[in-house]
Amino acid sequence: MDRRSFLAGSAAAVAASGFANAQGADEIRIGAPLPLTGPLAPEGRKQKRGYDLWAAEVMKRGGIEVGDKKRPVRIIYSDYQSATPRGVQACEFLANQEKVHFLFSPFGSGAAKAGSAIAERYKIPMLAATASSREVYDQGFKYLFGTFTPNETLTDPIADLVVATAPAVKKVAIFSRNDLLPLSLATALREGVKRHKLDLVFDEKFAIGALDFAAPLTQMRAAAADWIFVGGYINDLIQVRTQMRELGLKPQVLTMIAGPAYEEYIQALKGAAENVSSASWWHPAVRYEGEDIFGSTQNYVEAFKAAFNGDIPDYAEASASAVGAILQLALKKSGTTDGPAVRDALAAMNAKTFWGPVHFGPTGQIDSLNPPVFQIQNGKTVVLLPDEIKQGEFKLGIS
Amino acid sequence: MNSAILAQVLVNGLLLGGLYAAIAAGFSLVWGVLNVVNMLHGSAVVLGAYAAFFGWQLGINPFLAALAIGPAIGLLGWVVQRFIVQRVIAAPVLITLVLTFALDLVLNNAMLAAFTADYRKMGSVTGLPPLMIGTVSIPADRLIAAVLGIVATFLVHLYLTRSRLGRAIVAVRMDQETARLMGVKVEHIYALTFGIGLALAGVAGCLIGAVFPISPLNSGGYLGVAFVACVLGGLGSVVGAIVGGLVLGVVESLGSMLIGAEYGVTVAAVLLILMLLWRPQGLLGRAGYD
Amino acid sequence: MHARLQGWVLPVAILVIGAIVAYGLPIALSNQTYLLRLATSLALLVTLASAWNLVGGFTGYPSFATAAFFGLGAYASAVMQQFGWSALTGYATAAICAALLSAPFGFAILRLKGHYFAIASLMLVSILKEVTTGWSNVTGGGMGINLPGAGGDPLAIARISLEILVMLAAFSVALSLVISRGWLGFGLSCIRMNETAALSAGIDAPRLKTIAFTISSAICGVAGAAYAGWIGYIDPSDVYDVMWSVRPIIAALIGGVGTVFGPVVGSLIYLVFEELMWRNLLTFGTGALGVLIAILVLVMPGGVLPSLRKGKVS
Repeated sequence: MDRRSFLAGSAAAVAASGFANAQGADEIRIGAPLPLTGPLAPEGRKQKRGYDLWAAEVMKRGGIEVGDKKRPVRIIYSDYQSATPRGVQACEFLANQEKVHFLFSPFGSGAAKAGSAIAERYKIPMLAATASSREVYDQGFKYLFGTFTPNETLTDPIADLVVATAPAVKKVAIFSRNDLLPLSLATALREGVKRHKLDLVFDEKFAIGALDFAAPLTQMRAAAADWIFVGGYINDLIQVRTQMRELGLKPQVLTMIAGPAYEEYIQALKGAAENVSSASWWHPAVRYEGEDIFGSTQNYVEAFKAAFNGDIPDYAEASASAVGAILQLALKKSGTTDGPAVRDALAAMNAKTFWGPVHFGPTGQIDSLNPPVFQIQNGKTVVLLPDEIKQGEFKLGIS
Repeated sequence: MNSAILAQVLVNGLLLGGLYAAIAAGFSLVWGVLNVVNMLHGSAVVLGAYAAFFGWQLGINPFLAALAIGPAIGLLGWVVQRFIVQRVIAAPVLITLVLTFALDLVLNNAMLAAFTADYRKMGSVTGLPPLMIGTVSIPADRLIAAVLGIVATFLVHLYLTRSRLGRAIVAVRMDQETARLMGVKVEHIYALTFGIGLALAGVAGCLIGAVFPISPLNSGGYLGVAFVACVLGGLGSVVGAIVGGLVLGVVESLGSMLIGAEYGVTVAAVLLILMLLWRPQGLLGRAGYD
Repeated sequence: MHARLQGWVLPVAILVIGAIVAYGLPIALSNQTYLLRLATSLALLVTLASAWNLVGGFTGYPSFATAAFFGLGAYASAVMQQFGWSALTGYATAAICAALLSAPFGFAILRLKGHYFAIASLMLVSILKEVTTGWSNVTGGGMGINLPGAGGDPLAIARISLEILVMLAAFSVALSLVISRGWLGFGLSCIRMNETAALSAGIDAPRLKTIAFTISSAICGVAGAAYAGWIGYIDPSDVYDVMWSVRPIIAALIGGVGTVFGPVVGSLIYLVFEELMWRNLLTFGTGALGVLIAILVLVMPGGVLPSLRKGKVS
């Protein structure tokens, strides 16, 4: 399934690059540089699924309403092989040669930041589905919009929750991958720890690609932390949790971002995932109604399951579909594909969508959402915050 | 830092070191005998790990699977040396380095295409709880993997010192010309040695796969381990590889504690450079090739 | 007197040609940013290959440190510009930092030979990469640095980057030519052919080797700074990628290690192949490149130029 759609995507990219002139003068062309091969390929594939689902839904309805016409949409993918400079070049290629109307940002905060310069240069609105760090949006650019809320919106609620439900928890350990997103999360949590006057007993980074965490975990054990926070990608987090068990670390609270949001994390760890808490920008358990093409969170989840063999969407996939749906709303509003006009429509947007309420702040980052906090209980994900969609109570104790 | 933590850190280091020894030994052998730095080595380790992983999906214990996977990858190594590397065996260092680097690109890319970059994990192989000695925790799988790593390396050492072919290999390492004059078919020895080197890499891969997540992205890291452990212990000396591996494991573990977990590679690299400048033949080796 | 005048003609000619290309090419290619990008990549590779050649070709020491100084230069320049200094200051800082590090480091590891030297030089790349990532207050760590001015006019940026890199390439080649004909080049080739004999003939090998290494590294540093300005964003895994060490070597190998124009020819051939691979063989592009390099090494280890000029000593 993956390989087929991947090959289709590559074929599309190769074919597209051979046709510099638009095939249909009517169609709306969106450039989507993605890491379809290389280390970030798993993430790139997720984004592609999200985009493809949205595009398919659009075509099912006959196209995007722009002014008084319905126009077809074509997403032009370009594989930048997980190398950011290639990603930047891909953005440039898409803007300059393929003459796309809009850009979907390359994956991740670093690449999004770099690519946004191209969008700004060419005055093409760029929507970033996976860029959460504030640093991405701090260049004063006008053409960048992102659907992930800033990182402290993930760490603050959970810090408040832990302090409220477990006053005995005083010693905190922060362990983060030396990478843009995890570092940002760590910084945000550090602020939370200071705010609540907790005791930071361990605060370290681990190298990208590190496989062995025995030494830092040993130090954490010695420091007797009650609350361990680990920021990294799914394979790091699985390995850290496994080694925690081997070394006998049993804190009261274990929070990990961003692995537990994925089914694979729970599958890989089985019982060891119990009571691990996490937060993410979206979760299929949330319930929102929307004026977008999908109509509601539940509809979106059903549509995703139908298209992809019963798989449940995760936040990255949903975010990718969301940027498409949001762009669609902006096009409907502005009635034109002209870059600056659509950009203004995005900046002024105040809409309800399956993703949640959408409003972009002055830097272009979304500021209208409350990301969910959840915990794995009995092998299932239970949403703890925000209160409107709460499904259970916070449990303490890691075995 | 009290003695309990220190003990745990040392144990962690030794457990790592056993695996490192297995990685380094094959690399050291090839370098010492053929004077070829085999840039393929890291990818061979990863290949072994994948083979063990797929075996595990079928229910085969990776520690046992190593017995088959090692020789299989060794055969691959034999073929690569006999038909490709041998052609440039007398060429300058730059040429052989670039050649093995290019071959590594091919192997690594093939694995990336075939298996994708997604990390695979075997989960607990033995299912046993960690062994506790006081407050020091020794995970069962790691212990077995480390011990087997050293055993495998030691078996190769025995082969080199006790068997006829093994001794021929050592002879070629010490003095290629004289060995040739004594009737040793040097080209065959080269191919055999390369095969053994890669077989060991495959075995190391099975052991590593049992303990760490697997991805083609890690091959560079394993190659780096091979370099450092090899230089520490001494070229061409299998026992040296064991010593080098253990020392590297402990240094990494201590370094992580003292300097920070994100400087692991720096610590190893600086150690390597210092070693090269101070005592290039390593702790146990004789002065190798220039 | 006549001979000395003649000696300067060719290097100056190279610089002039470089200037013509630098300023004329953008006009010739007008708005084709894709072609401008290819040309800039070519100029960059020529610069690095030519610089590498001083150590790897003339002196015979297979250095893998190119990426280390390339990355160092990129970061030095980016950090300076982040603090508000001009791009020119960035370039100067890049060259100075590279020189300051390469001189003592080179002096130390140039005592080693063959594989040992290669590995030690390679290790520097890992060390600098990790240290840069760790020193996040200054370098932004894993987040990388966005250079000021990255959001400016695309055509202007493309044009200026091309001009800078073509001039740098021309400078690198011209310098290479001047060195090859002078006392330094003579000393280096003696060292390459037989270092022991050179030493006993009175050549101060350690000093000459270190000079070559330092010059080479400084050029790589400036190239890194130029690269940072061109792309607008750098992070440790991009600029300290070992491929920045390997590509120049391949380019030199293709064209002819140790010749002055080999790196130029080799860079062109290599880039054509790399671009073809990347455009057409998405999943297996790197692997195909590996096959190509392997074939090259097996079939033509001397390179294109020496094969064409049979009989001439390289």
